[in-house]
Amino acid sequence: MTVVTSPHHTTDLGGVKSAVRRSPNRRRLRDLLIIIPTFVLLAVTIFPVVWMIFTSLRPADALAGAVPWNQFFSGLGFASYERLFNGTSFARYILNSLMISCISTLFTVILANIAAFGLSRFRFRFRRAMIFLIISTQLLPFVVLVTPVYTLFSAIGLVNSYAGIIIVYTAMTLPLAVFLMLGYFDTIPTVLDEAARMDGCSTLGVIFRIIMPVSLPGIVTVTVTAFIATWEEFLFASVLLTSEQLKTVQVGLAGFFGEYSADWGVIMAAATVAAVPTIVLFSVVQKRLVAGMAAGSVKE
Amino acid sequence: MANSQSTRHEPLLLIGPALIVIALLFAFPAVYNIILSFQKLSPYQSPGEAIWVGLSNFTALFTNNQTAEAAWNSAFWLTTLTVVIRLVLGMAIALLLQSDVLARWKLRGVCRTAVLLPWMVPPVVAVASWKWILDGNTGVLNQVLVGLGVIPRGIPFLADTSTVWWSIIAIVVWRELPFVVIVLMAGLQSIPKDQYEAASLDHAGAWKSFLHVTVPNLRPVITVIVIVTVIQTFNNFVYVWLATGGGPGTYTQVLATRLYSAAFINNSLGQGAAIGIMMSVVVAIFAIIYFRLADRENGARA
Repeated sequence: MTVVTSPHHTTDLGGVKSAVRRSPNRRRLRDLLIIIPTFVLLAVTIFPVVWMIFTSLRPADALAGAVPWNQFFSGLGFASYERLFNGTSFARYILNSLMISCISTLFTVILANIAAFGLSRFRFRFRRAMIFLIISTQLLPFVVLVTPVYTLFSAIGLVNSYAGIIIVYTAMTLPLAVFLMLGYFDTIPTVLDEAARMDGCSTLGVIFRIIMPVSLPGIVTVTVTAFIATWEEFLFASVLLTSEQLKTVQVGLAGFFGEYSADWGVIMAAATVAAVPTIVLFSVVQKRLVAGMAAGSVKE
Repeated sequence: MANSQSTRHEPLLLIGPALIVIALLFAFPAVYNIILSFQKLSPYQSPGEAIWVGLSNFTALFTNNQTAEAAWNSAFWLTTLTVVIRLVLGMAIALLLQSDVLARWKLRGVCRTAVLLPWMVPPVVAVASWKWILDGNTGVLNQVLVGLGVIPRGIPFLADTSTVWWSIIAIVVWRELPFVVIVLMAGLQSIPKDQYEAASLDHAGAWKSFLHVTVPNLRPVITVIVIVTVIQTFNNFVYVWLATGGGPGTYTQVLATRLYSAAFINNSLGQGAAIGIMMSVVVAIFAIIYFRLADRENGARA
């Protein structure tokens, strides 16, 4: 309805910038109108994380009540972390999470590379439909799947087993991984694989020896996204892994603050440990990940 | 690449394994969920012991007035409010981070990274750290408010019906805002500069050029943001479940937490499946209507 067409559109635009000149003082004042909201925004954004880490380092009695301002920073130490690792099974949860996330991420990366190669290098019927179906799984509500998956898995003995959760996590992270790798492979010229085939390489040989090595940046992004998604997952882990021996970090952490007498020092220590891998990994691929996601959303 | 007849089946052999794993989690359970919704089965029984009960899971659902309450909470408090707040705040923050002032003060890079921080934190961690901030006795928010004399004694924000929804909204918006900011910033960067220059030649002020240049250009991006965030939030389980467990009482119960409680706490998998079908239908109807409207809107513009 409102179409922005300007009759002046074709006029010379060179003079526009010089049209407005402000005095330096007014400019500084205007700058503050941007700077102050920015600092408020940053404070609100960062505070919960800073407060979590700070709490995890404070002595237990400082958390029980108001502390005089001059003692605010006194007695900082790792006592909460000692209670976390000596008094709870959190170390075990970390091992479980690491193992589950690493294995399912490995499966996802291998399966995604093979499938994306098939989708990128061959033209066949239902190819587009297949890609569409794979992407559309991202809109399926996970919470709806949890009841039937639990029932099916309990019938075949996959509840309370590493295998069950690894299957779920591989399937959960595969669609996005296939989609990202497909985008990456499409940019790699086919002359590369043709040359390898001339030398007698099999299809899997082409994928693993030729294509994957040149796609390393793409593979790193996919690996990190998949690892983060599985490390963060809560719903399926809490339903499929109920035995104390098998709990993951997120389920263990949620168990801590579900208890009546909450030891917030220990909870914040556990929360800090649970957040370290995702913050570190996210920072590693931040630029590429953000650019990719933004491009995907803007393109559609 | 046509070397032999094996090429015909090769793509299927390559894609097959991934498709089978995906089907194992998405296709089979989605179909089985429909069967389950007509059955009575507890988590401690095997699927073979299920009893067919016809539509009784659904009639139980629709005669229970907690369902309407949970549906309203899901649709209004959890989804509509948080999506609208995320869009408004996200737009303000995206514009703020685009500003030349930040670039001049060399703050742009730092700010853009810092704004992403909540997104790097696992949702369970986000809930944990907010629960501690909002704690009724020793939470820092209450200590500051009491210390400043704003309130006489601490408010249990997550247990009081007048504050609990706004507390959950704060948690959801804090954790999920960065996605909206990133996508809006990408959208802003793709707007051709000459459109703003044309607007300023027409003597359009900042507000007018926002309305007539920025908003129309961002419309497709906003369409994507709304569909993705609405579907994800409507189906979200973890925030409400871990922040309040649906309480106080059933005050913040949403459909996703009702599904979980029905299936795994009241041990009625059929009830859970029925709620799941209801949620899927609601999401599907929303998506269809929304895309129709978006198409018509875009059609009128083209």
